[in-house]
Amino acid sequence: MYRVWAVARVTLAQAVRMRVAAVIIVMLLVLLPVMSMALEGDKTLQGQLQTFASYGLSLTSVLLSILTILVSTHTVTTDLARKHIYLVASKPIRRFEILIGKLLGVVALDVLLLGTFGAIIYGLTILVPHITDAPPDQVARAEHEFFTSRVRLETPVDKEKIDRLVEESYQKLLSEDRMPEGFNEWQIRDMIRREVQSAEATIGPSRVKRWEFRNVAVRDPNEVLYVRYKLRAIPQPAEDQAVANWRLGDFRTLDTGRLTSETRPYYVSRKDALSTTLEFAAPADVVAPDGYVALEFFNDPSQNYWSIIPSEVQLLYRSGTFTGNFWRVVAMILVRLVFLAAVGVSVSTWLSFPVAILICLAVLMTGTINGFIAESIDSLGQTLGFVYKFTVKPLLWFLPKFDGDFNPTRFVVDGRTLQWLVLGRAFLTTGVVRSAALMLFGIWVFSRRELAKAST
Amino acid sequence: MTAQENGYAIETFGLTKVFPDWWGRAKVVAVEELNLRVRYNEIYGFLGPNGSGKTTTLKMLLNLLYPTRGRALVLGGSTADGMVSRRLGYLPEESYLYKYLSARETLDFYGRLFGLPAQVRRSRIDSLLEMVGLTGMAHRPVGTFSKGMARRIGLAQALINDPDLLILDEPTSGMDPIGTRQIKDLLLLLARRGKTILLCSHLLADVEDVCDRIGILYGGKMQVEGPVRSLLQHGDRRQITTGPLSESALGRIRQIVEAEATQCEVATPMDRLEQFFIRIVTDAQQRKQPTSGAVSTTAIGGFLVEEPADTTHRVLDRLVDKPVGPVAAGAAAVAGVEPTVTQPPAVEDRGLLEKLAHGTASSDAVQTDVTTSVPQPQPTPPAAEVKKDVLESLLGHKPAADGSTEPTRSDKPGDGRNV
Repeated sequence: MYRVWAVARVTLAQAVRMRVAAVIIVMLLVLLPVMSMALEGDKTLQGQLQTFASYGLSLTSVLLSILTILVSTHTVTTDLARKHIYLVASKPIRRFEILIGKLLGVVALDVLLLGTFGAIIYGLTILVPHITDAPPDQVARAEHEFFTSRVRLETPVDKEKIDRLVEESYQKLLSEDRMPEGFNEWQIRDMIRREVQSAEATIGPSRVKRWEFRNVAVRDPNEVLYVRYKLRAIPQPAEDQAVANWRLGDFRTLDTGRLTSETRPYYVSRKDALSTTLEFAAPADVVAPDGYVALEFFNDPSQNYWSIIPSEVQLLYRSGTFTGNFWRVVAMILVRLVFLAAVGVSVSTWLSFPVAILICLAVLMTGTINGFIAESIDSLGQTLGFVYKFTVKPLLWFLPKFDGDFNPTRFVVDGRTLQWLVLGRAFLTTGVVRSAALMLFGIWVFSRRELAKAST
Repeated sequence: MTAQENGYAIETFGLTKVFPDWWGRAKVVAVEELNLRVRYNEIYGFLGPNGSGKTTTLKMLLNLLYPTRGRALVLGGSTADGMVSRRLGYLPEESYLYKYLSARETLDFYGRLFGLPAQVRRSRIDSLLEMVGLTGMAHRPVGTFSKGMARRIGLAQALINDPDLLILDEPTSGMDPIGTRQIKDLLLLLARRGKTILLCSHLLADVEDVCDRIGILYGGKMQVEGPVRSLLQHGDRRQITTGPLSESALGRIRQIVEAEATQCEVATPMDRLEQFFIRIVTDAQQRKQPTSGAVSTTAIGGFLVEEPADTTHRVLDRLVDKPVGPVAAGAAAVAGVEPTVTQPPAVEDRGLLEKLAHGTASSDAVQTDVTTSVPQPQPTPPAAEVKKDVLESLLGHKPAADGSTEPTRSDKPGDGRNV
């Protein structure tokens, strides 16, 4: 192990003395404080905080990703190109120890820099409300929605139900011989699917829609639940507003006919702007002891003359502190950096510096839009999908996702809890399994290749 | 441990390296069927012109290149084995050091790879830095060093583990003559302490000065191999070295030689440029003229010369406590095609540095000590005599023998004649 640490120390020393590292460090040291003051967001305190946290963490994450790629590829390729490896490899050190030492050195650099810049961003974020003269309501809102850590629950779309409805409709058309002409089976099924999805999401007048949430782990019954949603209406009302009637509680009692309910339902009726993210609070005692709570929307025909389509319906509740959540987010960024370092070290064992950099950047970019690519290709037809299933899909599966729900900065911006479970899973799958697979490949190559060049 | 049983520190069996072209066809045969054998406790000179396959052979010995055919045993095993590489010191043809590390950090890093405890590491680094004359530059990045200074650090790293086998590729390239001389002395000393040294060099004079045996490689094949003395000596000629002689004495000698029906040439010996250079720089050092370069020191890393603790080593020490090899012990001689009679260097078999340091222009120096030897190209001081006291005197740490600080040469032109 002492040999691994020796290589790690030298790698760290090398990285710290690289000019590009100095440029990135100086850039962040200058930009972060400037950004904390200059970025205003939507001119509210919360907007300013969200914009700064988002830009600050994203900038740090991107710059450190690039630095990690540069250092990890540079440290291995220059050792080979400048023949430093002759001296190192002729000492009593195994080749896998050299590579692990390199990886550890880069990870140590990441921990050092991410820790430093994370602390700077955290400090500035805490400082901003104290040095801006924001009105008390904005301070309270920032405290409530930003300086918090809330779990966000969503109900998944019932795919089985939709598939069943699509199949039923299709069979019905077929049996009644009402198939539209000029379309093939897949196109017809696609049209039916869209209709069914739209019908499922739409709540017609006097209709009720229910969302069910399980495992709602509110620690304190005196806590508050938050319901977040967005509404659309068909046809579009002239005043661009609709009445929302919500009810929260354990309605399984009504379903089963039992009259005793352990929780008391909570009702909300309000006039809401359309196509805007909205939120209301409710007491946490609506949650049943087993963690179940249902949310219902009633489209009252006496108030609305249109169908309502609620979207992005979420249930939120506080589950920790801003500080804990912030550092979990930073740890999530570190997982990404560890993976990139493993990619860099691994590919540099058999590729030259520029090619290795190119591969790493491709991995970073693919990771950043992985979810998007996967969705795009998923929507391809079955024939293409078959090819995709055995080629691109395994590759995309192997590459970690850095976007969508895997983009850690969004958790801080939304005050959303990045759960330990999610962090742990990312650490295991990306930081350990994927990185180890890459390193094993690199070690396999490095242990077999000739370290000297073919020259006499 | 076949090699140890056979007494070979390095042994190769039909070692062959073929570099293929892009299509996998044999393009260059760098080394062909090489059977190299380096005995324990010898200095082996591995010679050959550029591209003859020397460095490729070294790389195969060090597992940096894999042989196409054949195999190599180093210290009875493979250098991929930590137990073997632990006993190995290697200095490549260029130093290949991390430019951003300081001299001390560099040595510390390599010391760590050997798992040396911090205290041992520190003391060895101090000792080695002093030995290579870079104590004052310990904290300067190696990237700012001249080539010669980098070679010194390279050599120091090769010695940090007190290796049993040293593989040195052009150790003196880029070094000034004093550094070169010092390294040669060091190699002789190390060999005397039981180390084995494989020395690759283009500087033939250096090889000749220190090596017991040499092998000359050309086109990847060993052309000739054997002890330096037997390869270089002219068995049909004799050389006589004397002090000043009168013309009548010379005449009588000529008569005697001609009576033997052979030829006789009389000449006055000249200083070697190496000797001259060392004298000038020594003068400057004694005047304490400031320099930002390496300083020639007297020190040999303490841990490299200290008495080994265990008896095995003591036995080894006793075994090697004699002149390193026939060449090293050879008498002073001047290269020449014709037999010569030379007036002195007065003190027989004393190292050049010692002569420079102590000064030998005493009355003894002009006494007509006659020595006869088989001609060999260069005088080589025996290892036992080129040691700390010599170097100390050279650098003015000790007063010279005649009390002056300026070394005096006994063999300056005019003092003697070549007969």
